[in-house]
Amino acid sequence: MLKHIIEFFLSIRTTIWLLLVLIAALFAGAFIMPAKEEFQTIHSMPLFDWLREQSIGITWWLWSAIGILAVITINTIACSIESVIKKRKVTQWLLLISPQVIHIGFLFILLAHLLSSSGGFMGNVVAKEGTLLKMPLDNLVLHIKNINIDIDHYGYVRNWHVDVQYLSGQDKVISDRIKPNKPSLKEGFNINIKDLQAFPQKAVLIQVSREPGAIWALIGGILFLVGTITLIILKTKIEK
Amino acid sequence: MLILMLSFAFYLFTLWKRQFFYAGLILQIIYLGMRGFELERLPLVGPHDTLAFLSAAVAAFSIVFARHLKDSLQFINISAIMSAVFTAFALTSKQHSAPLPPVLKTFWFELHVVLAFLSYALFGIAAILGYLFLKERDNYFDGLQYRAVLIGYSFFSISMIFGGIWAYLAWGTYWLWTPKELWTSILWLFYSLYLHVRLRPSWFGKPMAILSITGFAIVLFTYLGVSLLMKSSHSF
Repeated sequence: MLKHIIEFFLSIRTTIWLLLVLIAALFAGAFIMPAKEEFQTIHSMPLFDWLREQSIGITWWLWSAIGILAVITINTIACSIESVIKKRKVTQWLLLISPQVIHIGFLFILLAHLLSSSGGFMGNVVAKEGTLLKMPLDNLVLHIKNINIDIDHYGYVRNWHVDVQYLSGQDKVISDRIKPNKPSLKEGFNINIKDLQAFPQKAVLIQVSREPGAIWALIGGILFLVGTITLIILKTKIEK
Repeated sequence: MLILMLSFAFYLFTLWKRQFFYAGLILQIIYLGMRGFELERLPLVGPHDTLAFLSAAVAAFSIVFARHLKDSLQFINISAIMSAVFTAFALTSKQHSAPLPPVLKTFWFELHVVLAFLSYALFGIAAILGYLFLKERDNYFDGLQYRAVLIGYSFFSISMIFGGIWAYLAWGTYWLWTPKELWTSILWLFYSLYLHVRLRPSWFGKPMAILSITGFAIVLFTYLGVSLLMKSSHSF
Protein backbone atom coordinates (compact mmCIF):
# COMPACT_ATOMS: atom_id res chain seq x y z
CA MET A 1 0.00 0.00 0.00
CA LEU A 2 2.72 2.46 1.07
CA LYS A 3 4.72 1.51 -2.01
CA HIS A 4 1.75 2.41 -4.24
CA ILE A 5 1.31 5.77 -2.48
CA ILE A 6 5.02 6.60 -2.91
CA GLU A 7 4.91 5.53 -6.58
CA PHE A 8 1.82 7.69 -7.10
CA PHE A 9 3.56 10.80 -5.74
CA LEU A 10 6.82 10.12 -7.60
CA SER A 11 5.13 9.75 -10.97
CA ILE A 12 5.23 12.40 -13.70
CA ARG A 13 1.93 10.86 -14.88
CA THR A 14 0.42 12.06 -11.57
CA THR A 15 1.72 15.60 -12.27
CA ILE A 16 0.21 15.58 -15.75
CA TRP A 17 -3.20 14.33 -14.59
CA LEU A 18 -3.26 16.73 -11.63
CA LEU A 19 -2.45 19.66 -13.90
CA LEU A 20 -5.19 18.58 -16.31
CA VAL A 21 -7.81 18.36 -13.54
CA LEU A 22 -6.63 21.70 -12.10
CA ILE A 23 -6.94 23.38 -15.52
CA ALA A 24 -10.45 21.86 -15.89
CA ALA A 25 -11.48 23.21 -12.46
CA LEU A 26 -10.19 26.73 -13.23
CA PHE A 27 -11.77 26.55 -16.69
CA ALA A 28 -15.16 25.92 -15.06
CA GLY A 29 -14.45 28.75 -12.61
CA ALA A 30 -13.60 31.13 -15.46
CA PHE A 31 -17.23 30.86 -16.59
CA ILE A 32 -18.85 30.70 -13.14
CA MET A 33 -16.96 33.74 -11.77
CA PRO A 34 -18.21 36.43 -14.20
CA ALA A 35 -21.77 35.03 -14.05
CA LYS A 36 -22.23 35.14 -10.27
CA GLU A 37 -22.59 38.43 -8.36
CA GLU A 38 -21.21 36.88 -5.16
CA PHE A 39 -17.69 37.02 -6.64
CA GLN A 40 -17.75 40.83 -6.50
CA THR A 41 -17.13 40.59 -2.74
CA ILE A 42 -14.23 38.13 -3.08
CA HIS A 43 -11.61 40.77 -2.17
CA SER A 44 -13.53 42.11 0.83
CA MET A 45 -12.06 39.53 3.25
CA PRO A 46 -9.43 36.77 3.31
CA LEU A 47 -10.23 34.19 0.64
CA PHE A 48 -10.76 31.30 3.07
CA ASP A 49 -13.26 33.37 5.14
CA TRP A 50 -15.07 34.36 1.96
CA LEU A 51 -15.19 30.76 0.76
CA ARG A 52 -16.73 29.59 4.06
CA GLU A 53 -19.54 32.15 3.67
CA GLN A 54 -20.44 31.20 0.09
CA SER A 55 -22.50 28.34 -1.26
CA ILE A 56 -20.50 25.33 -2.44
CA GLY A 57 -22.59 25.49 -5.61
CA ILE A 58 -20.53 28.43 -6.89
CA THR A 59 -17.23 27.80 -5.11
CA TRP A 60 -16.70 24.06 -5.72
CA TRP A 61 -14.13 24.77 -8.43
CA LEU A 62 -12.03 26.91 -6.04
CA TRP A 63 -12.19 24.25 -3.30
CA SER A 64 -11.23 21.63 -5.90
CA ALA A 65 -8.31 23.79 -7.10
CA ILE A 66 -7.06 24.20 -3.50
CA GLY A 67 -7.28 20.42 -2.95
CA ILE A 68 -5.46 19.64 -6.22
CA LEU A 69 -2.76 22.22 -5.42
CA ALA A 70 -2.20 20.51 -2.06
CA VAL A 71 -1.59 17.18 -3.85
CA ILE A 72 0.59 18.93 -6.49
CA THR A 73 2.70 20.34 -3.65
CA ILE A 74 3.47 16.83 -2.32
CA ASN A 75 4.04 15.57 -5.86
CA THR A 76 6.45 18.46 -6.63
CA ILE A 77 8.47 17.96 -3.44
CA ALA A 78 8.64 14.17 -3.96
CA CYS A 79 9.66 14.41 -7.65
CA SER A 80 12.29 17.11 -6.94
CA ILE A 81 13.91 15.09 -4.13
CA GLU A 82 13.90 11.93 -6.26
CA SER A 83 15.38 13.77 -9.24
CA VAL A 84 18.25 15.21 -7.18
CA ILE A 85 19.01 11.82 -5.57
CA LYS A 86 18.86 9.92 -8.87
CA LYS A 87 20.98 12.35 -10.88
CA ARG A 88 23.31 13.62 -8.13
CA LYS A 89 26.40 12.26 -9.89
CA VAL A 90 25.83 14.10 -13.18
CA THR A 91 28.49 16.58 -14.25
CA GLN A 92 25.99 19.28 -15.27
CA TRP A 93 25.01 20.07 -11.69
CA LEU A 94 23.40 23.42 -12.53
CA LEU A 95 21.23 21.77 -15.17
CA LEU A 96 19.99 19.34 -12.54
CA ILE A 97 19.33 21.96 -9.89
CA SER A 98 17.74 24.75 -11.98
CA PRO A 99 14.37 22.96 -12.55
CA GLN A 100 14.30 22.25 -8.80
CA VAL A 101 14.91 25.96 -8.09
CA ILE A 102 11.92 26.70 -10.35
CA HIS A 103 9.89 24.15 -8.34
CA ILE A 104 10.93 25.73 -5.02
CA GLY A 105 9.95 29.16 -6.42
CA PHE A 106 6.55 27.76 -7.39
CA LEU A 107 6.07 26.28 -3.90
CA PHE A 108 6.95 29.62 -2.27
CA ILE A 109 4.33 31.32 -4.46
CA LEU A 110 1.77 28.72 -3.33
CA LEU A 111 2.78 29.38 0.30
CA ALA A 112 2.29 33.11 -0.34
CA HIS A 113 -1.25 32.52 -1.60
CA LEU A 114 -2.00 30.28 1.38
CA LEU A 115 -0.83 32.97 3.85
CA SER A 116 -2.64 35.81 2.07
CA SER A 117 -5.81 33.73 1.69
CA SER A 118 -5.95 33.03 5.41
CA GLY A 119 -4.64 36.27 6.91
CA GLY A 120 -5.02 38.94 4.24
CA PHE A 121 -6.98 42.13 4.70
CA MET A 122 -8.35 44.73 2.32
CA GLY A 123 -10.51 47.75 3.13
CA ASN A 124 -11.51 50.89 1.21
CA VAL A 125 -12.58 54.27 2.52
CA VAL A 126 -13.26 57.67 0.96
CA ALA A 127 -11.31 60.54 2.56
CA LYS A 128 -10.93 64.29 2.09
CA GLU A 129 -8.13 66.66 3.10
CA GLY A 130 -8.04 66.74 6.90
CA THR A 131 -9.78 63.39 7.37
CA LEU A 132 -8.56 61.27 10.30
CA LEU A 133 -8.83 57.50 9.85
CA LYS A 134 -8.43 54.91 12.58
CA MET A 135 -5.96 52.34 11.28
CA PRO A 136 -6.32 48.61 11.96
CA LEU A 137 -3.16 48.98 14.07
CA ASP A 138 -3.05 49.79 17.78
CA ASN A 139 -3.41 53.50 18.60
CA LEU A 140 -2.59 54.66 15.10
CA VAL A 141 -4.53 57.28 13.20
CA LEU A 142 -3.97 58.20 9.56
CA HIS A 143 -4.27 61.89 8.77
CA ILE A 144 -4.87 62.88 5.13
CA LYS A 145 -2.92 66.12 5.05
CA ASN A 146 -2.79 67.17 1.41
CA ILE A 147 -4.24 65.90 -1.86
CA ASN A 148 -2.38 67.18 -4.93
CA ILE A 149 -3.77 66.39 -8.37
CA ASP A 150 -2.02 67.65 -11.50
CA ILE A 151 -4.57 67.86 -14.34
CA ASP A 152 -3.61 68.84 -17.89
CA HIS A 153 -5.69 71.21 -20.05
CA TYR A 154 -7.54 68.26 -21.65
CA GLY A 155 -8.76 67.14 -18.24
CA TYR A 156 -6.48 64.10 -17.88
CA VAL A 157 -4.78 63.42 -14.55
CA ARG A 158 -1.06 63.84 -15.28
CA ASN A 159 0.22 63.06 -11.81
CA TRP A 160 -0.80 63.12 -8.17
CA HIS A 161 0.52 62.74 -4.66
CA VAL A 162 -1.11 62.57 -1.26
CA ASP A 163 0.69 63.65 1.91
CA VAL A 164 -0.26 61.65 4.97
CA GLN A 165 0.70 61.59 8.62
CA TYR A 166 0.53 58.73 11.10
CA LEU A 167 -0.48 59.95 14.54
CA SER A 168 0.10 57.66 17.49
CA GLY A 169 -1.19 57.95 21.06
CA GLN A 170 1.92 59.72 22.30
CA ASP A 171 1.58 62.62 19.79
CA LYS A 172 4.27 61.01 17.65
CA VAL A 173 3.94 62.08 14.02
CA ILE A 174 5.41 60.25 11.04
CA SER A 175 4.94 61.85 7.62
CA ASP A 176 4.82 60.02 4.30
CA ARG A 177 3.87 60.74 0.69
CA ILE A 178 1.78 58.35 -1.41
CA LYS A 179 2.39 58.55 -5.16
CA PRO A 180 1.45 56.37 -8.15
CA ASN A 181 3.20 53.00 -7.67
CA LYS A 182 4.61 54.20 -4.35
CA PRO A 183 2.28 53.18 -1.53
CA SER A 184 2.88 53.98 2.11
CA LEU A 185 4.06 50.80 3.83
CA LYS A 186 3.38 50.69 7.55
CA GLU A 187 3.91 47.65 9.79
CA GLY A 188 2.87 45.13 7.15
CA PHE A 189 0.03 47.29 5.82
CA ASN A 190 0.00 48.77 2.34
CA ILE A 191 -1.80 52.12 2.17
CA ASN A 192 -2.43 53.29 -1.37
CA ILE A 193 -4.77 55.48 -3.38
CA LYS A 194 -7.23 53.59 -5.54
CA ASP A 195 -9.05 56.56 -7.04
CA LEU A 196 -9.04 60.37 -6.88
CA GLN A 197 -11.59 63.13 -7.33
CA ALA A 198 -10.58 66.73 -8.02
CA PHE A 199 -14.06 68.37 -8.20
CA PRO A 200 -16.22 69.59 -6.50
CA GLN A 201 -13.98 68.75 -3.57
CA LYS A 202 -10.66 66.93 -3.49
CA ALA A 203 -11.20 63.37 -2.29
CA VAL A 204 -9.43 60.03 -2.50
CA LEU A 205 -10.45 56.41 -2.26
CA ILE A 206 -7.90 54.94 0.14
CA GLN A 207 -7.20 51.26 0.19
CA VAL A 208 -5.59 49.67 3.22
CA SER A 209 -4.43 46.13 2.59
CA ARG A 210 -2.27 43.50 4.22
CA GLU A 211 -0.77 40.65 2.23
CA PRO A 212 1.10 38.34 4.62
CA GLY A 213 2.22 36.30 1.63
CA ALA A 214 3.72 39.21 -0.36
CA ILE A 215 7.31 38.66 0.79
CA TRP A 216 7.07 34.91 0.07
CA ALA A 217 5.62 35.62 -3.35
CA LEU A 218 8.59 37.91 -4.04
CA ILE A 219 11.11 35.28 -2.87
CA GLY A 220 9.28 32.63 -4.93
CA GLY A 221 9.23 34.91 -7.96
CA ILE A 222 12.98 35.61 -7.70
CA LEU A 223 13.77 31.87 -7.35
CA PHE A 224 11.50 31.07 -10.32
CA LEU A 225 13.21 33.78 -12.37
CA VAL A 226 16.75 32.64 -11.46
CA GLY A 227 15.91 28.97 -12.16
CA THR A 228 14.25 29.78 -15.49
CA ILE A 229 17.06 32.01 -16.79
CA THR A 230 19.73 29.48 -15.70
CA LEU A 231 17.85 26.62 -17.39
CA ILE A 232 17.49 28.48 -20.68
CA ILE A 233 21.14 29.59 -20.74
CA LEU A 234 22.33 26.03 -20.04
CA LYS A 235 20.00 24.45 -22.62
CA THR A 236 21.12 26.97 -25.24
CA LYS A 237 24.81 26.24 -24.45
CA ILE A 238 24.25 22.49 -24.75
CA GLU A 239 22.56 22.89 -28.13
CA LYS A 240 25.47 25.01 -29.41
CA MET B 1 -1.80 54.19 -40.61
CA LEU B 2 -0.64 54.04 -44.24
CA ILE B 3 2.60 52.41 -43.13
CA LEU B 4 0.65 49.76 -41.22
CA MET B 5 -1.59 49.15 -44.27
CA LEU B 6 1.52 48.72 -46.41
CA SER B 7 3.03 46.28 -43.94
CA PHE B 8 -0.25 44.28 -44.04
CA ALA B 9 -0.03 44.15 -47.85
CA PHE B 10 3.66 43.18 -47.73
CA TYR B 11 2.91 40.31 -45.34
CA LEU B 12 0.39 38.98 -47.86
CA PHE B 13 2.86 39.48 -50.75
CA THR B 14 5.24 37.18 -48.85
CA LEU B 15 3.26 34.27 -50.36
CA TRP B 16 4.67 35.45 -53.70
CA LYS B 17 8.20 36.57 -52.69
CA ARG B 18 9.85 36.13 -49.29
CA GLN B 19 11.61 39.55 -49.37
CA PHE B 20 8.23 41.18 -48.76
CA PHE B 21 8.16 39.55 -45.33
CA TYR B 22 11.28 41.45 -44.23
CA ALA B 23 9.92 44.65 -45.76
CA GLY B 24 6.61 44.16 -43.91
CA LEU B 25 8.42 43.71 -40.61
CA ILE B 26 10.66 46.75 -41.15
CA LEU B 27 7.61 48.90 -41.96
CA GLN B 28 5.81 47.65 -38.87
CA ILE B 29 8.82 48.43 -36.66
CA ILE B 30 8.95 51.93 -38.19
CA TYR B 31 5.22 52.33 -37.48
CA LEU B 32 5.61 51.26 -33.85
CA GLY B 33 8.63 53.55 -33.49
CA MET B 34 6.64 56.50 -34.84
CA ARG B 35 3.71 55.70 -32.51
CA GLY B 36 6.11 55.56 -29.58
CA PHE B 37 7.69 58.85 -30.60
CA GLU B 38 4.27 60.50 -31.00
CA LEU B 39 2.97 59.18 -27.65
CA GLU B 40 6.31 59.57 -25.82
CA ARG B 41 5.95 56.06 -24.36
CA LEU B 42 5.96 52.44 -25.45
CA PRO B 43 2.93 51.96 -27.72
CA LEU B 44 1.50 49.04 -25.78
CA VAL B 45 -1.91 50.12 -24.55
CA GLY B 46 -5.18 49.08 -26.21
CA PRO B 47 -5.87 46.52 -28.93
CA HIS B 48 -4.49 48.60 -31.85
CA ASP B 49 -0.94 48.98 -30.55
CA THR B 50 -0.72 45.58 -28.86
CA LEU B 51 -1.94 43.76 -31.98
CA ALA B 52 0.60 45.63 -34.12
CA PHE B 53 3.32 44.75 -31.59
CA LEU B 54 2.21 41.10 -31.51
CA SER B 55 2.22 40.95 -35.30
CA ALA B 56 5.77 42.37 -35.48
CA ALA B 57 6.94 40.00 -32.71
CA VAL B 58 5.56 36.97 -34.60
CA ALA B 59 7.35 38.11 -37.77
CA ALA B 60 10.64 38.80 -35.95
CA PHE B 61 10.67 35.49 -34.09
CA SER B 62 9.74 33.56 -37.22
CA ILE B 63 12.83 34.97 -38.99
CA VAL B 64 14.99 33.72 -36.08
CA PHE B 65 13.35 30.27 -36.06
CA ALA B 66 13.38 29.96 -39.87
CA ARG B 67 17.20 30.00 -39.76
CA HIS B 68 17.07 26.61 -38.01
CA LEU B 69 14.83 25.00 -40.63
CA LYS B 70 16.09 23.19 -43.76
CA ASP B 71 13.09 24.30 -45.78
CA SER B 72 11.45 27.34 -44.21
CA LEU B 73 9.14 28.36 -47.07
CA GLN B 74 5.90 27.01 -45.55
CA PHE B 75 6.85 28.21 -42.08
CA ILE B 76 7.50 31.77 -43.27
CA ASN B 77 4.32 31.78 -45.35
CA ILE B 78 2.14 30.74 -42.40
CA SER B 79 3.92 33.23 -40.11
CA ALA B 80 3.28 35.96 -42.69
CA ILE B 81 -0.43 35.06 -42.77
CA MET B 82 -0.55 35.15 -38.95
CA SER B 83 1.20 38.56 -38.89
CA ALA B 84 -1.14 39.83 -41.62
CA VAL B 85 -4.23 38.72 -39.65
CA PHE B 86 -3.03 40.48 -36.47
CA THR B 87 -2.16 43.59 -38.50
CA ALA B 88 -5.63 43.54 -40.09
CA PHE B 89 -7.23 43.43 -36.62
CA ALA B 90 -4.90 46.25 -35.51
CA LEU B 91 -6.02 48.34 -38.48
CA THR B 92 -9.68 47.87 -37.56
CA SER B 93 -9.12 48.65 -33.85
CA LYS B 94 -9.31 52.11 -32.34
CA GLN B 95 -6.00 53.78 -31.43
CA HIS B 96 -5.52 54.59 -27.76
CA SER B 97 -3.72 57.92 -27.90
CA ALA B 98 -4.81 59.45 -24.58
CA PRO B 99 -2.12 60.12 -21.99
CA LEU B 100 -1.46 57.16 -19.73
CA PRO B 101 -2.92 57.18 -16.23
CA PRO B 102 -0.05 57.85 -13.76
CA VAL B 103 -0.27 54.29 -12.41
CA LEU B 104 0.80 52.90 -15.81
CA LYS B 105 3.89 55.12 -16.00
CA THR B 106 6.32 52.60 -14.59
CA PHE B 107 8.89 50.22 -16.04
CA TRP B 108 7.17 47.33 -14.20
CA PHE B 109 4.17 47.84 -16.48
CA GLU B 110 6.33 48.12 -19.59
CA LEU B 111 8.30 44.96 -18.76
CA HIS B 112 5.08 43.12 -17.84
CA VAL B 113 3.39 43.94 -21.15
CA VAL B 114 6.42 43.57 -23.45
CA LEU B 115 7.29 40.13 -22.02
CA ALA B 116 3.65 38.99 -22.17
CA PHE B 117 3.38 39.84 -25.87
CA LEU B 118 6.77 38.35 -26.71
CA SER B 119 5.61 35.14 -25.04
CA TYR B 120 2.30 35.21 -26.96
CA ALA B 121 4.29 35.55 -30.19
CA LEU B 122 6.50 32.57 -29.25
CA PHE B 123 3.42 30.49 -28.42
CA GLY B 124 2.10 31.46 -31.88
CA ILE B 125 5.38 30.28 -33.47
CA ALA B 126 5.08 27.01 -31.53
CA ALA B 127 1.53 26.53 -32.84
CA ILE B 128 2.74 27.03 -36.44
CA LEU B 129 5.53 24.50 -35.88
CA GLY B 130 2.99 22.12 -34.33
CA TYR B 131 0.78 22.43 -37.40
CA LEU B 132 3.78 21.80 -39.69
CA PHE B 133 4.70 18.73 -37.64
CA LEU B 134 1.19 17.32 -38.09
CA LYS B 135 1.45 17.99 -41.83
CA GLU B 136 5.02 16.90 -42.51
CA ARG B 137 5.78 14.50 -39.60
CA ASP B 138 9.33 15.91 -39.44
CA ASN B 139 10.79 15.62 -35.90
CA TYR B 140 12.76 18.79 -36.43
CA PHE B 141 9.52 20.81 -36.14
CA ASP B 142 8.85 19.05 -32.84
CA GLY B 143 12.24 20.05 -31.36
CA LEU B 144 11.93 23.66 -32.48
CA GLN B 145 8.38 23.86 -31.16
CA TYR B 146 9.62 22.78 -27.71
CA ARG B 147 12.27 25.52 -27.79
CA ALA B 148 9.67 28.16 -28.71
CA VAL B 149 7.40 27.03 -25.86
CA LEU B 150 10.24 26.88 -23.30
CA ILE B 151 11.40 30.44 -24.06
CA GLY B 152 7.80 31.67 -24.34
CA TYR B 153 6.91 30.06 -21.01
CA SER B 154 9.92 31.73 -19.36
CA PHE B 155 8.96 35.15 -20.73
CA PHE B 156 5.36 34.59 -19.66
CA SER B 157 6.35 33.54 -16.13
CA ILE B 158 8.66 36.54 -15.75
CA SER B 159 5.88 38.79 -17.08
CA MET B 160 3.53 37.42 -14.40
CA ILE B 161 6.14 37.99 -11.66
CA PHE B 162 6.70 41.60 -12.79
CA GLY B 163 2.92 42.07 -13.05
CA GLY B 164 2.57 40.88 -9.45
CA ILE B 165 5.25 43.29 -8.20
CA TRP B 166 3.62 46.17 -10.07
CA ALA B 167 0.12 45.25 -8.81
CA TYR B 168 1.39 45.21 -5.22
CA LEU B 169 2.88 48.70 -5.62
CA ALA B 170 -0.11 50.08 -7.54
CA TRP B 171 -3.08 48.36 -5.87
CA GLY B 172 -1.72 46.83 -2.68
CA THR B 173 -2.11 43.23 -3.77
CA TYR B 174 -0.06 40.98 -6.02
CA TRP B 175 -3.10 38.93 -7.01
CA LEU B 176 -6.71 39.77 -7.86
CA TRP B 177 -9.44 37.24 -8.55
CA THR B 178 -10.64 38.57 -11.90
CA PRO B 179 -11.41 36.65 -15.12
CA LYS B 180 -8.16 37.86 -16.72
CA GLU B 181 -5.99 36.59 -13.87
CA LEU B 182 -7.91 33.31 -13.89
CA TRP B 183 -7.38 32.83 -17.64
CA THR B 184 -3.74 33.82 -17.26
CA SER B 185 -3.38 31.07 -14.63
CA ILE B 186 -5.06 28.60 -16.98
CA LEU B 187 -2.63 29.59 -19.73
CA TRP B 188 0.41 29.31 -17.45
CA LEU B 189 -0.75 25.92 -16.11
CA PHE B 190 -1.45 24.71 -19.65
CA TYR B 191 2.12 25.43 -20.77
CA SER B 192 3.41 23.94 -17.49
CA LEU B 193 1.45 20.84 -18.51
CA TYR B 194 3.08 20.96 -21.97
CA LEU B 195 6.58 21.08 -20.46
CA HIS B 196 5.80 18.17 -18.12
CA VAL B 197 4.26 16.07 -20.91
CA ARG B 198 7.51 16.70 -22.77
CA LEU B 199 9.35 14.72 -20.07
CA ARG B 200 7.61 11.54 -21.36
CA PRO B 201 9.32 10.59 -24.65
CA SER B 202 6.35 8.37 -25.61
CA TRP B 203 4.25 11.54 -25.95
CA PHE B 204 6.63 13.31 -28.33
CA GLY B 205 5.24 14.27 -31.71
CA LYS B 206 1.48 14.41 -32.31
CA PRO B 207 0.32 15.00 -28.69
CA MET B 208 2.85 17.85 -28.31
CA ALA B 209 1.79 19.40 -31.62
CA ILE B 210 -1.89 19.26 -30.61
CA LEU B 211 -1.04 20.79 -27.21
CA SER B 212 0.87 23.68 -28.80
CA ILE B 213 -2.03 24.48 -31.15
CA THR B 214 -4.56 24.27 -28.29
CA GLY B 215 -2.27 26.45 -26.16
CA PHE B 216 -2.30 29.20 -28.76
CA ALA B 217 -6.12 29.07 -28.90
CA ILE B 218 -6.09 29.71 -25.11
CA VAL B 219 -3.59 32.56 -25.68
CA LEU B 220 -5.95 34.22 -28.14
CA PHE B 221 -8.92 33.90 -25.82
CA THR B 222 -6.90 35.13 -22.81
CA TYR B 223 -5.64 38.13 -24.77
CA LEU B 224 -8.60 39.14 -26.91
CA GLY B 225 -11.62 37.22 -25.63
CA VAL B 226 -11.25 38.06 -21.95
CA SER B 227 -10.12 41.65 -22.55
CA LEU B 228 -13.05 42.38 -24.84
CA LEU B 229 -15.82 40.31 -23.24
CA MET B 230 -15.15 40.29 -19.50
CA LYS B 231 -14.67 43.04 -16.95
CA SER B 232 -11.21 43.13 -15.36
CA SER B 233 -8.18 45.34 -14.73
CA HIS B 234 -6.97 44.27 -18.20
CA SER B 235 -10.13 45.24 -20.16
CA PHE B 236 -9.65 47.24 -23.34
